[in-house]
Amino acid sequence: MNDPVAFVTGLKLLGAGLAMLGAIGAGVGVGIAASGGVQAMGRNPDAAPIIQTNMILGMAFAEAVAIYALAVALIIIFAAG
Amino acid sequence: MSEVQKKRRFGFFRWIVLGIIFLGVYAAWFGPSVLKPVSPAVILSPEPIWPGLKILGVYFSNTMLATLIADVILIALAIKTSRFLKAGNLVPSGVYNVFEALFEFLWSSVEGATGKWAKRVIPLVATIFFLIFTANMIKLIPGFESIGYLEQPPKGAAFAPVPLFHLGSATVYALDPAHEVVYETDAVEGGHAAEAGDGHHELCTACQVIPFLRGSATDLNFTIALAVIAVFMTQVYGVMALGPGYFTKFFQLGKLVNGGIFGLIDFGVGFLELILEFAKILSFSFRLFGNIFAGALLLSIVGALIPVVIPPGLYLFEIFFGAIQAYVFYLLATMFISMAVVSHAGGDHGEAHS
Repeated sequence: MNDPVAFVTGLKLLGAGLAMLGAIGAGVGVGIAASGGVQAMGRNPDAAPIIQTNMILGMAFAEAVAIYALAVALIIIFAAG
Repeated sequence: MSEVQKKRRFGFFRWIVLGIIFLGVYAAWFGPSVLKPVSPAVILSPEPIWPGLKILGVYFSNTMLATLIADVILIALAIKTSRFLKAGNLVPSGVYNVFEALFEFLWSSVEGATGKWAKRVIPLVATIFFLIFTANMIKLIPGFESIGYLEQPPKGAAFAPVPLFHLGSATVYALDPAHEVVYETDAVEGGHAAEAGDGHHELCTACQVIPFLRGSATDLNFTIALAVIAVFMTQVYGVMALGPGYFTKFFQLGKLVNGGIFGLIDFGVGFLELILEFAKILSFSFRLFGNIFAGALLLSIVGALIPVVIPPGLYLFEIFFGAIQAYVFYLLATMFISMAVVSHAGGDHGEAHS
């Protein structure tokens, strides 16, 4: 508390870390997508290319949330105040 | 397979690998401090490739240089491929093989998604794929993000430079992690008047390296430019396929007039679609940027902490992610375009322009 600059810097880093909590949901989502995709491919190997494409698509959408969290964290560290 | 391997028990390459690992251990923990890895300075924005170098009033940044190199490589490969095609050889070989395999892979998925529009869509999305792929691959070459000029960071901790050897009239320096200099903005002003290179640039006492080359996708400008192009061209393809009626997807006036209360809801949904188009730019650009920037950060930080065995594995991981991100960008662009070229309101004006 004696050094306000260090205090604010610490709070910024803490905030960036908290922002990355958003990656939890994305991780769960990507895991569910992969699990469903692999199960579907196991049941119907002939349809693997189509399933794979759609699986990667769904993963990309789920991952976008984590990327937003990362963007917020980077903005907090580098750009904000 | 195992029989063959048992014969060559004392292979040659494994000793090279082992030697490199021991050299790495020596350099990282036991050798002179100049050889030790330097913890990276994290800089979000791209830097100019030389202090104050401007072209047409804009800083010529190191990411632009890297993108130009990727462009030159791609154009050279394309010229080589087209020459091969014009020569009329029936047996594919060399670079042409790679291009043919990649193109067939891309073509099959574009044709599956967009049908009869595939011939018009593939130049755009395949160019995006090849550019991102090449940019992500060349950024893994050693020397990227590590060789550059020295500059005093505005504040914080940095390392003192140590002269290594002379290259013509210029002196080459390396950062010495043993001499860490912590300072505030005004505590150390400027630097000693030791001359580096052509003498214009004063040598700093506590320096960070501003690299000459930096991965293109670690620059948000690169990814936003690609995202804007992709989303804008999505609208263009939509108008090409459906005519002006494409915009009824966003402004559902017909449903508003004769749809009653549900027409109002549909009108609101149309506005949400419009917002979604802008969200696409955001998600396209930040996905690519976030993945590649985080990868570069991970490589440099882990490389500074455990410089010996882990980084090669991470490099493999980065190759995989560079390819996957290029593929995801391409796939999403294809999907959005395929959604734009099919009629939203059902049969009528979708077939009229075919």
